[in-house]
Amino acid sequence: MTRTRRTAAGLAAVWGLALLIAATPVAASHGLEYAVKANYLVRFAAFVEWPPRVFSSAQAPVVICVVGRDPFGRTLDTAVRSQTAYGRPLAVRRPAAATELAGCQIVYVGEGGAAAMTAAESQPGLLTVTDEASSDERGAIHFVISRERVRFHIDQTAAMRRGLTISSRLLNLALTVRAR
Amino acid sequence: MMAFVDRLRRGRFPLMVLASLLLLLIAGVATTVVSERGLKQQLAREAEAQADLLASAVSGALAFDDRAAAQDYVDAVQVNPNVMAAAVYDENNRVVASFARPGETISTIATPRDRTTRFEDGRLYVVRPVEEAGQRLGTARLRLLDTPPSQRFSRYVGLLLVLGLAVLVVVVLAVAQGALRRANRELERRAEALAETNLLLQQQMTEREKAEEALRQSQKMEAIGRLTGGIAHDFNNLLMVASSGIELLDRTDDPKKRKRLSEGVRQAVERGAALTRQMLAFSRRSPLKADVLDLPTQVEGLRFLLERSLREDIEVIVDLPDGLWRIEADAGELELALLNLAVNARDAMPNGGTLTLSAQNVPGGEGAHDTVCLTVADTGTGMSQAVTSRVFEPFFTTKEVGRGTGLGLSQVYGFARSSGGEISVESAEGVGTTFTLCLPRSEKPATIPGPAQTPAAETGKARRRGGRLLLVEDDDAVAAGVGHMLRDLGYTYVRAAQAADALSILEGGERFDLVLSDMVMPGELDGLALGNEIRRRHAGLPVVLTTGYSEAASAASAENFRLLLKPYGIGQMETVLAEAIGEGRAGV
Repeated sequence: MTRTRRTAAGLAAVWGLALLIAATPVAASHGLEYAVKANYLVRFAAFVEWPPRVFSSAQAPVVICVVGRDPFGRTLDTAVRSQTAYGRPLAVRRPAAATELAGCQIVYVGEGGAAAMTAAESQPGLLTVTDEASSDERGAIHFVISRERVRFHIDQTAAMRRGLTISSRLLNLALTVRAR
Repeated sequence: MMAFVDRLRRGRFPLMVLASLLLLLIAGVATTVVSERGLKQQLAREAEAQADLLASAVSGALAFDDRAAAQDYVDAVQVNPNVMAAAVYDENNRVVASFARPGETISTIATPRDRTTRFEDGRLYVVRPVEEAGQRLGTARLRLLDTPPSQRFSRYVGLLLVLGLAVLVVVVLAVAQGALRRANRELERRAEALAETNLLLQQQMTEREKAEEALRQSQKMEAIGRLTGGIAHDFNNLLMVASSGIELLDRTDDPKKRKRLSEGVRQAVERGAALTRQMLAFSRRSPLKADVLDLPTQVEGLRFLLERSLREDIEVIVDLPDGLWRIEADAGELELALLNLAVNARDAMPNGGTLTLSAQNVPGGEGAHDTVCLTVADTGTGMSQAVTSRVFEPFFTTKEVGRGTGLGLSQVYGFARSSGGEISVESAEGVGTTFTLCLPRSEKPATIPGPAQTPAAETGKARRRGGRLLLVEDDDAVAAGVGHMLRDLGYTYVRAAQAADALSILEGGERFDLVLSDMVMPGELDGLALGNEIRRRHAGLPVVLTTGYSEAASAASAENFRLLLKPYGIGQMETVLAEAIGEGRAGV
């Protein structure tokens, strides 16, 4: 109990800091920008629905894979901790090769991880997240910096092609939505 | 407690009404509370739904830090005028977007709360967590205006009015019922009182009837006593006169003395006969013969008797005008009535005076008969009003015992009524009394020339008549007396004690000129039956019936038999027998 509270308090402090940072111009700190993005990655898990067959079991975690260069470091691991989505825990994996995407539900394509995009084409139920800062190619979700805030574009077609349903609430927040 | 309940029950507001009022009140309050609670719950539900909506809508904006989008959602809530303030807080309870109506404040950092719905100070606070797929993103908070008391009150005005109306109706009904109950109770009380009074009245009536019966009985006893006393005394006097007269007759041979004595005895017997006639008239057993009478003749014939009844110190004035109408009445009864009036007048004038007998024609008005009114006035002591009013009552007399029977004026009254006439009396004490006897006029010619008289002077000089008679008489003494008279009149006779004997004697072939039979006799045949039998078997043989009993007499009259009423004198006997024999001979 005491432990849980302490954890919650710690989490709150981290998030508070994160949001505080998010509210400030991104340019001010490169680190803060990625903290926000890491946070968003976690949140996406709650706004996207996967087909059940993607998961090996009911309790199987939603796995976020980072391919290419990892810009988050420990931040992502911290953000994932004690978070859930649809009752599933979240997990972070960093595959050695950008093409080893088996078991991943979300893949963040970092610098040099472009190969993952091709690999992802053949894997249903995989949400591809790209970043303006590291890739010209766009995944289902594409991070950009707009008015000094972290925003994103959504390619709904790509998502649907892989059997994913993106919540309308998320779609509403996207700068653009590419749909059929 | 019981006393209080009892008082309530008796009071103007019965328990039922109080219970009804209480029930109404409870129902009203319960309805209000339930309705209030329901409305509050509804309000809360609506607010919660709105908060849920906001929380669900704002989740994306919160998750991805889109303040503008969050603000849009929060602003949308303003559409509801009841929402005073709305805010969305992030996971760290910092405000992300908010709006507040004037006068409302929003704190930038909120107290951490879970799902909350609470009413406080006229406000409804609703807190809803913003979650997405299990991820906590923050809270959505709404502050709504609770229904203000005035609005709430106005909502219950209708109910209050209806409740008030119901209470009014119940109270009015209760009061009306109370009044009705009181009126009923009063009515019941009165009915009871009435029934009681009625019962009392009936009891009184019964008692009164008993008392009246007792009074009548005692009056009857008194009357009988008075009658017996009076008649006994009168008869004793007459018997005294008769017996002493007869004894003295035996002791003297001086014709003058004997004549005076026999006259005295005859008068005593006549008075006795008059007395019995009076009694019979009173008992209405005397047959009234309707004779047509000429008043002056009658009064003139009576004058002799009147003067003998009165004393020397009484002057008699008879004032009968010429041209008086004839009247129709029983001659004997009229005679008796006049005698009674005269005797009454005599007794009213102990110190002498004048007796005036007058008459006049009184023409009848419309619808009334012509009458002739006889007035007998005296100058005597007069009578008091009380006595005047009772003067015609049977057995009423003011005379001391022995002086009067109380039947005199009663006879007059009975005679007047049965003759279709009227009798009235006027009296003033110390001045005198006037009796007025009015009898109806008759157009028929006079049938009786004058009162039947048997002058004693003629008795001795009775002409001897021949004839053989059959005398039927059960009483030996009477038979002997009658036989004496018959022989004295020159008749021979055969006596039969019974009707059957008489018939067998007649069958024997012996010839008789007449049958003289008593009417009331023992045996199978009475006098009347015997007479009829003789008429059937021996037509032409005259039959004369004799009786002292008026009913038998009227029966005989109805059968057209010649009658000789007991007691009769020798003169009467002579006349009737002679006529009968004469007719018989003429018939044969």
